[in-house]
Amino acid sequence: MIDAMDKAAGLSPDDALFAARRFRPEFVQGAEECRLSVLQPANDQGLAPNLRVALARRMAALNGDPVLMAEYDVQLAQLGPTEQLLALAQGETDLNEPLATIVRHVDLITLTPKKAEASHIALLVKAGLNNPQIVALSELIAFVNFQTRVAAGLRLMRST
Amino acid sequence: MISSVRLKPLNWHPYIAPVELSGATPEQLEAMKVTPSAKKVSEYVRTLAHDPESYLARTILFNAIMYVEGGLARPDRELGALGASIVNGCKFCAVVHARRHAELTKSDEVVTALYLDKPEALGPRDAAIYSFARRLSAAPSEATADDIAALRSVGMDDCEVIDLIHAISIFGWANRLMHVLGHAESG
Repeated sequence: MIDAMDKAAGLSPDDALFAARRFRPEFVQGAEECRLSVLQPANDQGLAPNLRVALARRMAALNGDPVLMAEYDVQLAQLGPTEQLLALAQGETDLNEPLATIVRHVDLITLTPKKAEASHIALLVKAGLNNPQIVALSELIAFVNFQTRVAAGLRLMRST
Repeated sequence: MISSVRLKPLNWHPYIAPVELSGATPEQLEAMKVTPSAKKVSEYVRTLAHDPESYLARTILFNAIMYVEGGLARPDRELGALGASIVNGCKFCAVVHARRHAELTKSDEVVTALYLDKPEALGPRDAAIYSFARRLSAAPSEATADDIAALRSVGMDDCEVIDLIHAISIFGWANRLMHVLGHAESG
């Protein structure tokens, strides 16, 4: 069965790389469980699925990944996005709070994690995020940065 | 000849209050049973337990990527983790995985070369792994087909390259937790 990572990497069941990926069923299943845990969690901690997918779309763009951008665009369209969330997904920075603070954080941690400081977490607190939301947001950011790298690596393998 | 660096373990402290065991929900307690390399319940684990679903899923994947049998040699996975941690600026992760690399190879030559920023001192296999780790960790990724060709030229097969991609990528994840949600202190 084709999963989200195969789709992102452009793999089909007759590719040698599709089979090579299955040499590690732990990675295949584990990555899918992780995807569900950050994008469709049973308990969303008050960060709604459409916000999560909109942020994922934004981070796919920051990582220069048109395949994942298109995939998240499709998912977002099915989740009844508001104008604000559509703008957020497209990379807009002029947003209402707490979205404006959230996207500043998302952009910083995606592009320059090295620059992260205590003050950045304080800004999330000031914008009204509680501790479970700060952790859930951090895991979502981290997951999309994982996903885009695995997909990028697999695409390079496929092309060589 | 370069002198060997001595890397002492760092302590990590969160910027937010971790979950206290006495106040944890059953789901949080259940999630905290699965810890990275099965150690005690650290402040890091208790911080991530604020969102037990993602913590549990990621820890299972993390442990598979770093410790699963066969495929890419353990030191090579540690080198991938180290390269990512240096690019992402996670000092805590860098020290942990530098030390683990030195333990597994019974040598601190590679780690010393990297801490002194002399990657040209690495052998061809380590150089190919480290260069790929750095380039794949950039945002956006700067890795190219030449990086994959370099890994294959030092003898890595498809399964090993897939293992390495995962080791580097999972630190694109771990570094964005550890370096973002807290800070490292010495001693």
